[in-house]
Formats: sequence, structure tokens, C-alpha cells
Amino acid sequence: MQPTEILGTLVHEFPYALFGSIIVGILCSFIGVYIVAKRVVFLGAVLTQVSVLGLTATFLPLFALPHTLGSLGVTLVTVLVLSRLLTGRKVPRDAVLGVVFASSIAVRILLMQKAPKVEVAEVESLLRGDILFVTPGLFFLMAGAFVVVMATYLLFFKEFNYVIFDPDTAATQGYRPAVWETLFYVLAGAAISFATHMVGDLLVFGFLVLPPVSAMLITRNVTGIFTSSVLIGAVAPVVGLFLAFYFDFPSSPAIVAVAFLVLAISWVQSVVRIR
Amino acid sequence: MEPSFIEFDHASLGYGRKVVVRDISFVIQRGEYFGLVGPNGSGKTTILRAILGSIRPRSGQVRVGPTGGPPVRFGYVPQREILDYVLPYTVQQVVMMGRYRQIGLIRRPGKVDREIIQECLEHVAVQDLRDRPFKDLSGGQKQRVLIARALASRPEALVLDEPTNGMDLPSRLSILELIGSLHAESSMTVIMVTHLLDDVANHVKRLAVVERNFFQVGSPEEVLTGANLSALYQIPVAVERVRGRTVVLPGDSHATH
Repeated sequence: MQPTEILGTLVHEFPYALFGSIIVGILCSFIGVYIVAKRVVFLGAVLTQVSVLGLTATFLPLFALPHTLGSLGVTLVTVLVLSRLLTGRKVPRDAVLGVVFASSIAVRILLMQKAPKVEVAEVESLLRGDILFVTPGLFFLMAGAFVVVMATYLLFFKEFNYVIFDPDTAATQGYRPAVWETLFYVLAGAAISFATHMVGDLLVFGFLVLPPVSAMLITRNVTGIFTSSVLIGAVAPVVGLFLAFYFDFPSSPAIVAVAFLVLAISWVQSVVRIR
Repeated sequence: MEPSFIEFDHASLGYGRKVVVRDISFVIQRGEYFGLVGPNGSGKTTILRAILGSIRPRSGQVRVGPTGGPPVRFGYVPQREILDYVLPYTVQQVVMMGRYRQIGLIRRPGKVDREIIQECLEHVAVQDLRDRPFKDLSGGQKQRVLIARALASRPEALVLDEPTNGMDLPSRLSILELIGSLHAESSMTVIMVTHLLDDVANHVKRLAVVERNFFQVGSPEEVLTGANLSALYQIPVAVERVRGRTVVLPGDSHATH
């Protein structure tokens, strides 16, 4: 297959996969800058697993809700509980996240044992990251979430930055850091939930970490970091899907591998620049 | 008689079930340069939080500003160590944060805000650093930038938490000189928290010494005595005058001669 043919096939036959992974790439790479800056990368991994747990639960007759609703509900409840637990002093932050991470995977495996066989295959396909069969309904849901979440982050860009950089001083000026922090996590949780349902946990977690870290290595200003991260998040799915078609690779790992390659180049560039 | 600017009236302060400071009473007048000193963990920052309104007294009262009047605008200078240094905000961006409350939600900084930022940067002599990443600056430069940010909010009172902590001697003296000149030129109320006794001994007009079972307010000469400090730190401490400056030394006064 010629490169132009591959691109044509992607645009005409898998538009929802292509454009869906681009908007997930942009949104998660943007949120990822904050996640990395707040040193809560593990939270990204936890929320993707919790989202998959919520999704898996909806395959059981007992919790027969729409998949997206199940995923969103469980993720948002976890976010609200975590926003309380993470500020406590009795158990370290990492340990709290570790407990939720391990438990959500264990419960998901138990639930899958009780789900009908055909639906287990659907969950497993999601976990492998087969994004080529994204449905129009899921795509438009994700596009709606993208608009709402991104618009909120951009409208309150300066407030989020202030509260993350210096919550104590922000509090003396009348800001309520706990409220802003909860809003941040609710938005991130909703975005991660929709995105995980659409493209799988590997791709979402990859986008939350790899583009922001690359951007921090190649750029030395805050606006540049957000812009570079979003650009990497937008381009990596296109290149990754192209390579997946060309070499017959699974799509999600191919996209994450492209993002990792960008990270490796960024690291080399930053080392050379320092010397 | 002018009403007090800040008044603690038999206030007990703490977090959750823990009482950190018990039954303290003192006032700070508008335009005063006031110090809060004591060992680490003595409750200085807790008193500061009560002044800033971050915590409410568990009993007694803390009154800030005129009764029924608008809330007092504080320019807060936090400890540099608690700031998050992952994202490389420029000096200009950090100082602009001091304007965010005035700018309001959603709105972007305007020309007036940029002019105020420039004026504040010049005031603390860091205008040449405006495009540098804040995290790359020295301790003294960072402190000046944080003071500029506090000034950018056009505060009625400047509140500084351990402003000279971890600094070398020249930077420390330079920051104390800057704070002193800000107080002198505008009669702004300044409240400085520190565990460095020499800093307050030679700069503030009045101070409070805080420890769990010890709370005393007065001028440096009244409060910073060898007897008081020896009781406070539970080691012999001497207070001497050297070349016109007050110096706090470990050991009793006879041992220093």
C-alpha cells in the first residue's frame, strides 16, 4: 500500500478513529501538562483503570447502564473521594493511589469473570487499544466532552495556573484552592473517562505523560509547553495510525511508540542544548 | 484613640482537634512593622494564617480591619520552598499573579495591569529579570520577585513568612533593607514571621515571641532578653550590642566577653 493510499483509507474509511484519536491526543496532552506539573502522574494511571472498571461493570446485567455513563460515574465518584483522601496526612498520596489502582484492576478482573463471553471480548479489545472501530456516537460524545472540558480549562487558565503554582498565596486573595483543585480533577476525570472508553487506557495514559514531558524538555516557557504538548498530541495519532497500517501493527501501541520517539528526540535535543 | 488594625482577643488556634496556640491577646496597629518570632513549630505560621483568614480561632476572637468594613487586602509573601517549580513561569508571569484578583475571573490582564507589574518590578529592582524563568533565579532574587507580586495587589499590609530563610548574608541584609524601606516610604503595615532572631532584633519596632507555653509582646529591647530567650530555647542565650546592632548569641553573656 502506498503512503497516499493509507492516508486516504484513514480519512475516508476510519474518520472517527483518526479524528477521535486526534482530539483525545490534544485534550489529554493538555491536561497532562498539569498532571505532570502537579506530580500526580500516577493519578492518570489510576483514573484510566477506574474508568475501565466502570465500563466493565456496565456489561453485567446488575449494572446495565449505558457504558459511557458507567465509566463516567465510577470515575467521577473516585475523583471526588480521592480529592478528600489525597489531602489527608495519615496515608501518603502514592499509597492511596496505589490502593485504588490495584483494587480497581482486581475488581475489573472479577467482574469480567461474571460478564457474558461476547462482551468480555469487547472489553479486552478496548484494553488492547483497537481504536479503528470507534462509533460515530462515541466520537460525537468525545467531541462534546472535548469542547466543554477544553473551554473550561482555557477560560480559567490563569486561575488554574495560580492555584497549582502557589495555593497558599492564592488562598489569601480569596481563591479557594480546594474548590479549584476539585474542579480540575472532575474535568480531568470526565475527559479521561470518555477518552478511555473511546481509545483505551494505554493511549490515554500515554498521552497524559509522554507529550507533556517532551514539551518540557524542548520548551522553556509555560505557553510553549502547553502548545508543544498539544501539537505532539495532535500529530502522534496521525503518524502512529499511518505506521500501524503500513507495518500492520496494533494502532494504540503504534501511536504511543511515536509519542515515545518524540520524547527520545526531545531528550537528546535537550542534552545537546545544555552542552 | 485609633482602633487597632489587627486584634487577637484571648484567641486559641489550631487544626482539627490539635490546639497549637492557646489564649493569646495582642494588637497590631496600622502602619506598624511587627515581627512574629519563635522556634520552628511554635505556632508562628498558625497565627499568620489566622491573620490572613485561612483559619478561624477555636475560641476567642481575631479581628482584622475595621468592623463592618471591606476585607483587608494583604500582600502575602510565602516561603519560597513551598512553591511549585515544575513549570517555568517567567518573573513577569509570577508578578502578574498578584493582579489576578483585581483582573477577575475569565478576563485577561490589560494595559493597566502590565504598567503596575512594571512599576512593582522596578520598585524592588528586578525589572531586568522580567523575562527570566522564576525557578532559575537565586534565593534573594526570588524573594524580591515575590515581594513585587505582593505589591502588585496594592495591599494595605505586607505579610512575609520567613523571607530570609536559607539566604546568604548579603542577600539576607539586602532583603531586610528592602522590606524596611517599603515600610518607611509608604507607612505600610508589615508583619514578618521568622525564626531568625537577629532579623527582627534590628528591624521591627514591636514583636511577639511565640512558643507553646510562652507568649510575650513588646519592643525588641523588652522581649529579646537573655532570660526570655534562654527560657524559650532551653539553652543559655545572650543578647549583646555589637557596633550598634543587637546580636543574639548562644551561651551566657559572661562567656562572650
